[in-house]
Amino acid sequence: MKIIAIVSAKGGVGKTTVTATLSTALRYRGHTVFTADLDPQNALRFHFGISPQEIKGISRASLAGQPWAETCCQSPSGVVVMPYGSVNEADREAFENHLDANPTWLRSQLDTLGLDDDDIVLLDTPPGPSVYMRQALTTASVVVIVTLPDAASYATLPMMEGLVQTYCTRRPDFSSYSYVINQVDNSRQLAKDVVQVMNANFGERIIGLIHQDPSVSEALAYDKSVLDYDVRCQATQDFVNCAERLSGLIQYAGHAQ
Amino acid sequence: MSEDTDLPAPRSRFAAWLTRLGDRMLSLRVWDLRVVRWIAMLVAAALFGLVVTVPLDLYEQLGFAATGFIVAMVLNKTGSRLGTLAMMVLSVAASLRYMYWRVTETLGFETWVDTFFGTGLLLAELYALIVLLLGYFQTAWPLDRKPVPMPPDMSTWPTVDVFIPTYNEPLDVVKQTVFTALALDWPVDKVKVFVLDDGRRDEFRAFCEDVGVGYVTRDNNRHAKAGNINAALQVTDGEFVAIFDCDHVPTRSFLQVTMGWFMRDKKLAMLQTPHYFFSPDPFEKNLETFRAIPNEGELFYGLIQDGNDLWNATFFCGSCAVIRRGPLLEVGGIAVETVTEDAHTALKLNRLGYNTAYLAIPQAAGLATESLSGHIGQRIRWARGMAQICRVDNPLLGRGLKLGQRLCYLNAMLHFFYGLPRLIFLTAPLSFLLFGAHIFQASALMITAFALPHILHASITNSRIQGRFRHSFWNEVYETVLAWYILRPVVVAFINPKLGKFNVTAKGGVIDEAYFDWTIARPYIILLLLNMVGFGVGAAILINGGSIEPITVVINLFWTFYNMVIASASIAVASENKQIRLAPRVAAQLPSTVRFSNGRTIACETQDFSQTGLGLTLPANMEVPLGEKVQVSIFRNREEGVFPAVVVFNRNNRLGVHFESLNVKQQVELAQLTFARADTWANAWGNGVRDTPLTALKTVVRIGFRGFGLFFKHLYSMATAPRHTRRASAPKLDTGDK
Repeated sequence: MKIIAIVSAKGGVGKTTVTATLSTALRYRGHTVFTADLDPQNALRFHFGISPQEIKGISRASLAGQPWAETCCQSPSGVVVMPYGSVNEADREAFENHLDANPTWLRSQLDTLGLDDDDIVLLDTPPGPSVYMRQALTTASVVVIVTLPDAASYATLPMMEGLVQTYCTRRPDFSSYSYVINQVDNSRQLAKDVVQVMNANFGERIIGLIHQDPSVSEALAYDKSVLDYDVRCQATQDFVNCAERLSGLIQYAGHAQ
Repeated sequence: MSEDTDLPAPRSRFAAWLTRLGDRMLSLRVWDLRVVRWIAMLVAAALFGLVVTVPLDLYEQLGFAATGFIVAMVLNKTGSRLGTLAMMVLSVAASLRYMYWRVTETLGFETWVDTFFGTGLLLAELYALIVLLLGYFQTAWPLDRKPVPMPPDMSTWPTVDVFIPTYNEPLDVVKQTVFTALALDWPVDKVKVFVLDDGRRDEFRAFCEDVGVGYVTRDNNRHAKAGNINAALQVTDGEFVAIFDCDHVPTRSFLQVTMGWFMRDKKLAMLQTPHYFFSPDPFEKNLETFRAIPNEGELFYGLIQDGNDLWNATFFCGSCAVIRRGPLLEVGGIAVETVTEDAHTALKLNRLGYNTAYLAIPQAAGLATESLSGHIGQRIRWARGMAQICRVDNPLLGRGLKLGQRLCYLNAMLHFFYGLPRLIFLTAPLSFLLFGAHIFQASALMITAFALPHILHASITNSRIQGRFRHSFWNEVYETVLAWYILRPVVVAFINPKLGKFNVTAKGGVIDEAYFDWTIARPYIILLLLNMVGFGVGAAILINGGSIEPITVVINLFWTFYNMVIASASIAVASENKQIRLAPRVAAQLPSTVRFSNGRTIACETQDFSQTGLGLTLPANMEVPLGEKVQVSIFRNREEGVFPAVVVFNRNNRLGVHFESLNVKQQVELAQLTFARADTWANAWGNGVRDTPLTALKTVVRIGFRGFGLFFKHLYSMATAPRHTRRASAPKLDTGDK
């Protein structure tokens, strides 16, 4: 199985949207895709049309000692989604303590799923350092850092790279990390300049430039992926291109077993 | 040496084997010994002399010719350059043998009419033979130079001044060139752009100040473009000068691709790149052959310059070239003695021992001359200039040149003397059909046995050498259109090189309605009518019988028919098609996006671009009101430019947008993403359909028939139109005496 962690140092960069849309785009490319939500916001499920009343998820399952397989929901596009689950504050704390105490928790849980070598697992994480991100970073073979083309996001990137250095680069099963720049708007000079600086600094590590596009948020309101909601818009095109690059990247990623 | 990309791939295993055999023979070590080479050469020369001169009777000659031709056909299947060289040798043998026989056996003229026409034809044939031989020499081994990368340390890169000379061209045309020149990828502090305005126009000055490029004028217009550049050399100081005609837009990679050779070869004084045109020339426009048939210029830039490069005799062509300032100043700047100052400047540089080079990668593109009269005017200038150089600085004479250089320059000059020989070939059969002159004192069969190998060998050999850049029979069309017009200026300039001035070629105009250019077409019409009369007389002779050998009449009828086709094709060129757009569009599929005023986007691609707008292909039909303001993105890899525009056209998923008030920065960016893209022109270069003589013949015959029909159609409509509505006259031909 190929494990891809989607991370960001800063909140509000559209990481969950990127995770969900890339999952669907990879699915449309013919991959078998599992997407796990490691973010207590538990918002990933909305991108896959899962009912707000549904409370099951990996947090509850872990606390109850149940296997992850129980938490899986199938999205209309065929992505297998594992929501975070609804938990109260005390349970969340207990869950996080559990993760803190068991650094290989994620690894062993994923192993119980019995996935094929070529199956893809995407991990959505909360912004900034956390037990979730640590679990994700210590497990992933590919890390995708999502950022906005603005100065504040750019300033946080060294911190994110530091985390990747700490948890990933020395692992033999780690393959590479890359960047997705979200909500690009090259008609604004500042945004354009930041994109240019990032292009110059990160070069080939940038696997996606996702344009700002009203269709993305509209799609969520209609319970759809933008890929289905507006087939021809620029953002769809960008996600498709990004998934293609990502698909190429993981082809060469070592099998994380 | 492996297979050559210029040549067709071997088509069978035998051909592949033959190709390898040829390559192996060429790479034998014994050729390293000078004495072996000399012995081989002497033996070969003796045998060759025998082949050319040995007398044979009809059947022996037929057998000899057939054998030679079969060998050539087999060689033509191979992909090796040795195969090409061997075909050239066979062709030269067939042609020299013909000419030897022609001079020794066929000149016993009996009457003065025979002598007059017969000598004329012989001289025309001799001229054609010399040009054929020089052509083989010139293109025997195109150098196919590749770019040399610049050193990584940018601090060692030299300074470059970009000159954009202009005289009377509209500002919009010049603007595009300036914007692309500003987009050149070169260290900002090492490149300066200058507009050299011989028109001294205020709007140009204001524009140059706005965008921050140099504006250079002088107080006179002496020596036209050459004088303009020389004046600018006085007030600038870059180590190199890149020169672009004001309607040639460079790609952003121009300097990086061209400058490497100057770093490697310190004696290199000038490097030329092709002139590539993104709009159709009058032939392409009026015959509708744009991008389908190689145009008139492609042979020169595709093959001849590459051939010249081997002999270190690349010509400067006035634009899209880089010159090292030092040597240029040493020869006194751009030459001013002739109206082809460019070629003459290169000649002077070569004389001083400097190298000139050619890089066959289109790194700039321009507007072709719009109308036939403009095209002819330009060619008259070239022809006149070459004749002038022939007189004032003859490449066969004087110091400093190697034999190869002398011959290359000589051929370039002789080339423009084709006017009279071409007219002789177009009328030669008439001397027999109309005047009963016997210009060939030999039987029809003997003529066939000697002349046919000469013609066929030359045809297939040239088709092989030139196939990518000139299709068979098109040479006749291109020359016939110009023959009459360059004849007089060449002769005048040859007699007195001081006569005749520089004429500027107008470009980027509008031809508001289709019309037939009666003035220009006059020589072709006369040629056609003469040949029609000759054909009628010949047919009558054939039907009535009589003392004349029928086969002789038939041969002359064939020749006359061919001449009618060529003359008619020339008439078709004079039938001007409409040209509606001021800003020419370039067809190109570039990824792009439209963002509508409600923020919604649609990913699409361009269909074409121009300085002022885009044609877009949408993935589906969309309701877009005309006049809606949009933002259009054009992508180049990760680069994206966003431009405000307004929708001006929307039908069947085709969207036309017009840019709105772009500022200078946006204009430069637009240029970078469109005209200045390094890959825009290079992809199409030499990648057209290769020549196959029979297909080419079919095309030329079809165009000939069309021209024939057009002529009578225009004649009819002129005869029936009320007098006052007739077009008074087409634009008058400017022969350069402004």
